[in-house]
Amino acid sequence: MLKNSKILAVSKREIKRLLTRPLYVFCMIVAPAFGYVFFTTLMENGLPVDLPVGVVDEDNTSVTRNIIRNLDAFQQTKIVEQYHNFAEAREAMQRGKIYAIYYIPQGTTKLALSSKQPTVSFYTSASYLIPASLEYRDMKMMSEYASGAIARATLYAKGFTEDQAMAMLQPIKMEMHAVNNPTLNYSIYLSNTLLPALLMLLIFQITIYSIYSELKEETSKEWLAIADNNIYKALFGKLLPHFFVWVLMGLFYLVWLYGYWNFPLNGGFLPMFILMILFVLVCQAFGVFLCGAVPSLRWALSLATLWGVLSFPISGFSFPQMAFPPALRALSYLFPLRYYFLIYVDQALNGISFGYTWFYYVCLAAFLALPLLVVGRLKTYLLEYHYQI
Amino acid sequence: MRWFYNILDVWKNELIRSLTDIGALVFFVIVPLLYPPLYAYLYNNESVREVPTVVVDNCHTSMSRDFLRKADASGDVKIIGHCADMQEAIELIHEHKAYCLIYIPAEFQKNIIEGKQAIVELYSDMSGLLYYKAVLSACTEVSLEMNQEIKAQRLVGATKEQAEAFAYPIKYEYVPMFNTQSGFATFLIPAVLMMIIQQTMLLGIGMLLGDERENKRKGIMAEHLKGKRPLEILIGKATGYLNIYIPVVAYLVCIIPVLFGHIHIWQWKDMIAFMIPFIFACIFFCMFISTFSYDRESFIVLFVFMSVPLLFMSGISWPGSAIPPVWKYISYLFPGTFAVNGYVRMSEMGALLKDVHWEFVFLWGQAIVYFFLTWFAYRKMYKKWKWFKA
Repeated sequence: MLKNSKILAVSKREIKRLLTRPLYVFCMIVAPAFGYVFFTTLMENGLPVDLPVGVVDEDNTSVTRNIIRNLDAFQQTKIVEQYHNFAEAREAMQRGKIYAIYYIPQGTTKLALSSKQPTVSFYTSASYLIPASLEYRDMKMMSEYASGAIARATLYAKGFTEDQAMAMLQPIKMEMHAVNNPTLNYSIYLSNTLLPALLMLLIFQITIYSIYSELKEETSKEWLAIADNNIYKALFGKLLPHFFVWVLMGLFYLVWLYGYWNFPLNGGFLPMFILMILFVLVCQAFGVFLCGAVPSLRWALSLATLWGVLSFPISGFSFPQMAFPPALRALSYLFPLRYYFLIYVDQALNGISFGYTWFYYVCLAAFLALPLLVVGRLKTYLLEYHYQI
Repeated sequence: MRWFYNILDVWKNELIRSLTDIGALVFFVIVPLLYPPLYAYLYNNESVREVPTVVVDNCHTSMSRDFLRKADASGDVKIIGHCADMQEAIELIHEHKAYCLIYIPAEFQKNIIEGKQAIVELYSDMSGLLYYKAVLSACTEVSLEMNQEIKAQRLVGATKEQAEAFAYPIKYEYVPMFNTQSGFATFLIPAVLMMIIQQTMLLGIGMLLGDERENKRKGIMAEHLKGKRPLEILIGKATGYLNIYIPVVAYLVCIIPVLFGHIHIWQWKDMIAFMIPFIFACIFFCMFISTFSYDRESFIVLFVFMSVPLLFMSGISWPGSAIPPVWKYISYLFPGTFAVNGYVRMSEMGALLKDVHWEFVFLWGQAIVYFFLTWFAYRKMYKKWKWFKA
C-alpha cells in the first residue's frame, strides 16, 4: 500500500489544483457540457425544417397555384416570397434570403393541357450544401407529383387502375433504404462524432496544460518529489483525478445521445461504454506524448490544437475518408478519432458483431503505448528545464 | 503631435513583438499559411465517386443486367461484387468492402413485361450521407433512362417523345447554381477561411496580452507602454495587427481560391470594401476578448474548442434559417458569422456589396462597439497598472 499512497498523495494535490483554478472547472465541465447541448439542440429537428424558398410564377393559374401550395406544404420547404421575375429571385438568393427558386414560365398550364410538354425549372445554390440537397429533393418530388397528377387523371379517364397507372408512368421504381437512419437525421450523422471529438480536444489541452503548468510555475520538482521522483507514479497520480472527471463527462454524452435523444444504439451500451473509457485514456496518453515530444507548454498546446482540429475532417465522419487523396487517407490512421468513428459506426449505428470491430479497438488501444516512448525525456524536461516563452 | 509619436511607438513595438514572439507568430502566420492548403487538399475531390457497391440480382435477366451495367457505368457507384443472397452481401458491407447494396427482386423483368411496376431496392450504409446520395442518384438516372424506353414500347405507335409527353405533361429541369457540382470543398473552405482569420487572431492577440500581464506580475514593465494613454496604446496595437493581417487576409482571400481553383466570382472593389470592416471588427473583437487573458497559454485551452461550434453557428454547415434563436443571437457576437455569410455569397454566388449590405452594416457596428469596449477595458486595465498619466 505504501506504493499506492504516493500516487494518492499526488492525486490529492492535483484535486486541490483542479478545484482552485477556474480554467479547469470551465474546460473539464462547462465547455464539454456546452458543446453537447449546443450541437444537439442546433440540430434538434434532425433535418432543417421550413427552409426559405422563393417562387416565380409567371403563369398564375389554379394549376400552378396548386403546385406552389403543395410545395409549401413540404416539411423542409417554406415559400417566403413570390417574385415577379427570375432576376428578382436570383438577387434574393444572392442576398441570402432564400436557398432555392421554383420557376414556372408563362403558358405552362395551357401547354400541359394540350400535350405540348412545358418545362418548369428549379434552382438551388449548393454554396449552402444541406439546404440545396434538401430543396432539390422536395422540388423534384413536387415536380413529379405535378406531372404525375395530370398524367394519372388522363389514365384514370381511360379506365386504368391506380396500380396500372403507376406502372405506366414509372415502370421501374427505386426504393431507398437508409439503413439505421431512415429519416436522414443530420444530428445522428454528425453529433455522434462531434461530441466525443470536442471532448478529445479538451482532454488534449487540459492534460498538457496541467503537466506543463507545473514547469511554468516551477512546481514540477515538488510534484515529482511527492512521487519519489518516479515519473510513472507522478503522471499516474496526476492524471487519475482527470480520468474520473473525463469519464463522467463521457458518460454524460453517452447518456445524452443514446438515452435522451434516442440515437441508434444497436450494439448495446457496453461496446460504446468500453469505447468511451478507452478513448478517454487514449486522449490522455496522447496529451502526455505531446508533452514529451516538445518540451514547452506553448508548443505542446499548439501541436495538440493542430492534431485536434485536424481530427475533425480527417476522421471522415462528414466527408468520407475514401475520397481523400491517398496520402491523407494513410495519415488519417494516426488520429484516434478515426478509430472512434469506425467503432461507433459498427457498434452503435449498425450494431454488427464484435468480430468485425475488435481490431479497431486494438488499434485505438495501441495509442496507449505512445507515452512510453517519451516518458524518460519528459522527466528530464520536468526536472531540468525552465519555462520558456 | 505627442499623441502621434506615442501611437507610432506602440505600433512599432507591438509589430516587432508580434513578429518575434514565436508563439504568436504560429497563430498569426503559420496556421493561416498551412491550414487552408491542407483543408483544400483534403477535400480536393469535392465529392465521393465510385462508391463500392454490392449487388444481389435475383432476376438474372437481360433487363436486370442492363440496369446494373448502366449503374456501374455511372461515376457515382462501382459494383465490386455480385452476391448470391442478401446474407453474403451484408457480410461484405460489414467488412467495409462495400457501402451500398442494389437488390433486384426475382420478378423484376416479369413485372416490366406484364406492365406492372418493378421495384429496385437500394440500401446504403449511413456512416456517410454521401454514400446515400451517390447510390440514389446513380440508380435514379438509370431508371429514368430505362423508363423512357419502356414507356415508348408500351404506348403502341407512339414515338419516344410522345410517350414522354404523355408520362410527363409538365417536364422539369434542375439547374444547380454557383457551386454546380455540389462540391464539398467549394461549400466548406470559404467558411473555414473566415473562421481561421478570426480564431488565429484571437489566439495570437490573447497570447500577447497574456504575456504583458505575466511580465507585469513578474515586475517587468513594457517600456514602450509607459506614459501612454489607453487610446494611444489601443490604436497603436490595432495598427500593428492590421499590418500583419492585411497580407494574411489577402493570401487567404485572393491566393487560396485561385490556387485551388475554387469559385471566386466577386467584384474586387466590393470584396475589398467588405473585408475592411471585417478586419476592423475582428481586431477590436479580439482585443476586447483578450483583456480576459491572464497568461500566455490559457487562451488556447479556452478558445480552440469553440472553433467548431462557431463554424456551425455561422450558418454554412447548418442552414441559418434552422438555427434556434438563442444560438443565432449568440452568433451575432462574433464577426466571423457575418464574414462567413458575406464572403460565401460574394465569392461563390456573385453577390455585390449591396447584396451583403446587412452583413456589412453589422460588421461596422461590431467594429465600433468592440472599439469602445476595448477602450474601456484598456482604461481600466492600464489605470490599475499605473502606467499612464491621466
